[in-house]
Amino acid sequence: MLSGKINNAKPGPRIRPPRRVMTGGTSEFETLWQMLKSSFCDIHNKNASALAFEQLYRAAYKIVLKKKGSVLWQQVTEFETEWFSAKVMPIIKTLITAKTINAALGEVSEVSATERRNLGEKFLKGLRDTWEEHQTAMNMITDILMYMDRTMVTDARKPSIFTSSIGLYRDNVLLANPTEHGAEYKVCALVNAVIIDMINMERRGDVIDRSLIRSICAMLENLHQTDEEKDDERLYLVVFEPHYIEESRKFYANEAQIMLQKQNCGAWLRHAEQRLKEEEDRCKTTLSTRSSVGITEVVEQELVIRHLDEFLSLDRTGLGAMIDNDKRDDLSILYRLLLRVDSKLPHLKAAISKRVLESGLEIEKAVGNMDLSTVSNQKDGEEAKASSAPKTGSAAAQQATSSALKWVQDVLDLRKRFRMMLQVCFDNNSIIESALAKSFADFVNLFPRASEFISLYIDAYMKKGTRGSENVEPVLEEAIVLINHIQDRDLFERYYQKHLARRLLNSKSESTELEKWFINAMKQQVGTHFTAKFEGMFKDMSVSQDLRTNYKEYIAGLEGKIEPPASSYKKIELAINVLTSNNWPADSMGRNQGDGDNNDVIFPEDIQKLQNSFLKYYSNGRNGRVLTWVPSVGTAEIKCIFPKLKESGPLSKERRYDLTVSTYGMIVIMLFNDIPDDEWLSFEEIKERTNIPANDLHRALVGITIPPKSRILLKEPNTKSIKPGNKFCFNSSFVSKTIKIKAPTVNPSRVESREERKKTEDKNNETRANACSAALVRIMKQRKELTHTLLTGEVMAQLSSRFCPDIPIIKQQIDGLITKEYLERMDIGGVPGYKYLA
Amino acid sequence: MAEPTNGSQIPETKYITLVSRDGFEFVVPREATKISPAITGMLDPLNNFKEAQTARCTFEEINGIVLEKVAEYFQYWYRNKDQEDVADLEIPPEICLEVLMAADFLGLT
Repeated sequence: MLSGKINNAKPGPRIRPPRRVMTGGTSEFETLWQMLKSSFCDIHNKNASALAFEQLYRAAYKIVLKKKGSVLWQQVTEFETEWFSAKVMPIIKTLITAKTINAALGEVSEVSATERRNLGEKFLKGLRDTWEEHQTAMNMITDILMYMDRTMVTDARKPSIFTSSIGLYRDNVLLANPTEHGAEYKVCALVNAVIIDMINMERRGDVIDRSLIRSICAMLENLHQTDEEKDDERLYLVVFEPHYIEESRKFYANEAQIMLQKQNCGAWLRHAEQRLKEEEDRCKTTLSTRSSVGITEVVEQELVIRHLDEFLSLDRTGLGAMIDNDKRDDLSILYRLLLRVDSKLPHLKAAISKRVLESGLEIEKAVGNMDLSTVSNQKDGEEAKASSAPKTGSAAAQQATSSALKWVQDVLDLRKRFRMMLQVCFDNNSIIESALAKSFADFVNLFPRASEFISLYIDAYMKKGTRGSENVEPVLEEAIVLINHIQDRDLFERYYQKHLARRLLNSKSESTELEKWFINAMKQQVGTHFTAKFEGMFKDMSVSQDLRTNYKEYIAGLEGKIEPPASSYKKIELAINVLTSNNWPADSMGRNQGDGDNNDVIFPEDIQKLQNSFLKYYSNGRNGRVLTWVPSVGTAEIKCIFPKLKESGPLSKERRYDLTVSTYGMIVIMLFNDIPDDEWLSFEEIKERTNIPANDLHRALVGITIPPKSRILLKEPNTKSIKPGNKFCFNSSFVSKTIKIKAPTVNPSRVESREERKKTEDKNNETRANACSAALVRIMKQRKELTHTLLTGEVMAQLSSRFCPDIPIIKQQIDGLITKEYLERMDIGGVPGYKYLA
Repeated sequence: MAEPTNGSQIPETKYITLVSRDGFEFVVPREATKISPAITGMLDPLNNFKEAQTARCTFEEINGIVLEKVAEYFQYWYRNKDQEDVADLEIPPEICLEVLMAADFLGLT
């Protein structure tokens, strides 16, 4: 900053030497120091207003210029040390009475809280005053000694005079032992004890002098353990905080016990939150923000975590009760508390999952109870059915179905409740969300009939007339979420396929749009491969529609050209669905019936002609396609003429009715066309003539012999069940009030009976085994050699989107492939493995 | 932090007076002297020394010529402290050394 320009042309101006200041010797130092010392005394005695700063500053300056700086530094520290012992400690000592010690160190707790507080406050106030006076004085002295500080700190590497002088306060006051006799303790220990005692008083609801404690804490914060003033060596952190944390831990451990005895989870939550807030505030107003992390941790640990499980499992007020009673405020608090402790929320996660599982099992149990009665009922029902009492059976089935619907509805409600909770109380926390999803999936999968029930539930909404035209989309959307939870998707696929087939083939579907929308939604949620079959089914249906129209045109075109048989085509209208066998459930396709004799049902002649005609039409341009007739899922509308029998009454004229019966029913009825009205045919005879499988024949006969409204055939004996050996005859005296008569043909979608379910599961397991086998071959073909563990792992990974494969099934399939010589056992680096052959 | 050592607190004046050994007085803005820690300590109202009460600093070791330069420097600093590329302050070579010493005394380093 200083610069000068020298004019070289003229002789330069003379630089004047500075006046000599370095004169005199030790004696001058003594004079100067005496002057400073007496001023320092004045400063300590708050008597500085008459002092001229410049004079003192200059004195210190001169001493330093005389290279006596370190001597001065030494003198000053000695002066301060003397000052402490002569003037400060006596004041402190008067404040420390035996009572203070007793009260604070708690050896005898006979001193009342009020007295304790008064003594403590007096002590702390005295301490604060001496500290503040010392600080003020030292600020002034430091300013005066500024020049010394500058040289000492840089040249002699000594701490600044301010630092060392407040260090002197620490050594001579706080760490001093105030009593000449008796117990070993230091002033700062007393300070700790008094502050902690006061804070505990405040925790119990007393009012204390916060600013007093705050200033003591500030003092402890400003003092360091050494003169190097490292940040983590503050006396507050080293001397006070550990004690404070320790004592607080005791306090809150004790408090947690008390709360636990009260057995009130909600109160505990509120209290804990309140305490946390209090401690936070206390750190701001009374202690130091440095402690907020530590003390918060203490409260969280002692008051929240340590007894968390005990509180949450409380019977009437615990987590279960909170969820059941929808105590959202409490749950929010719980969430907030636990979130502070651990953002991964392990406790809440576990507790919620447990609760979800419990609720899920409760629902299952409720349904199970309902079901148990129905199952036994149904068993009777089935027997009754076999002995001609279908009503009981269907009623039982109805009940079972409604219990299935109830299960799904309950699960959805439960889910809705937890979702709501998640939104309102848990801030849509993703951890809780996934825990919820997982535990829902868990209990849904624990319930063996979940797939069936969910499919039934959807079926109920999709079916005509079951629910009005209310908005079912949101309901179905929720159902999709459940589908997502299902692990054994293949089983669900199977049921859905079955139910969908029934809806489509019997045109029970409320709306194709809705069906398609739903399948689309499933596709988005679950995946394309999952819905491929369903889409195929729809495609078949629409292709068949076209086919039917075209066939009609074809027949119309034939008319006139071709002779006699055409007349019968005209009489019979064919509504055919050509179904791709892969897309449709096996049983509705007439496959896997197991009876063996189902392939060639003998159709009446007219029908056979019709079939041939259609076959001819269909094969035209579609070479190599094989059509198999599946009468089991068809229906027929036939006009039936009952003869005039009597002269009067309802039987007095010929009656024409439109009958709607199953295809099998039609075959049976048409059988009676060819025999005299009063000839009886036995069950066996009918079976022989039609080659209808016994089961189907039984079902068909039930429809047209037992309900009075559609009793086309008479039965002998006239009981309510059909048994082998029964005889049947055309009921020529049949009367009905309506023209259109519908024989109960198809079973409504209902819960499967135990055997049926077993069958479905067996079939499913078979499919799974095949899928396993396919996956095994696929993997091995590619990898050639693989260890057992890796192989099973890959198979699991490949199949997990459809179902969760059992290890035993995989093993079984591996064994199978080994027998078929696709695979060979081999040792891969000491681990058992396989090699792909061929 | 602490109560003032003298009960009557003097309001801080905007200008203060610097007095040289030989009696020259220079009035400078109080703000401009903040560059010198020595003068700042001198005038600190918390310390409340005599200088703080009178807003008048007497320098027994600095003569008028040098103190004038010091006062000029205070002004120079005060005007230019927030600017860049400022022209140097001219100091006549003959008082250079004395100014330097005064600067050291006042902590202007």
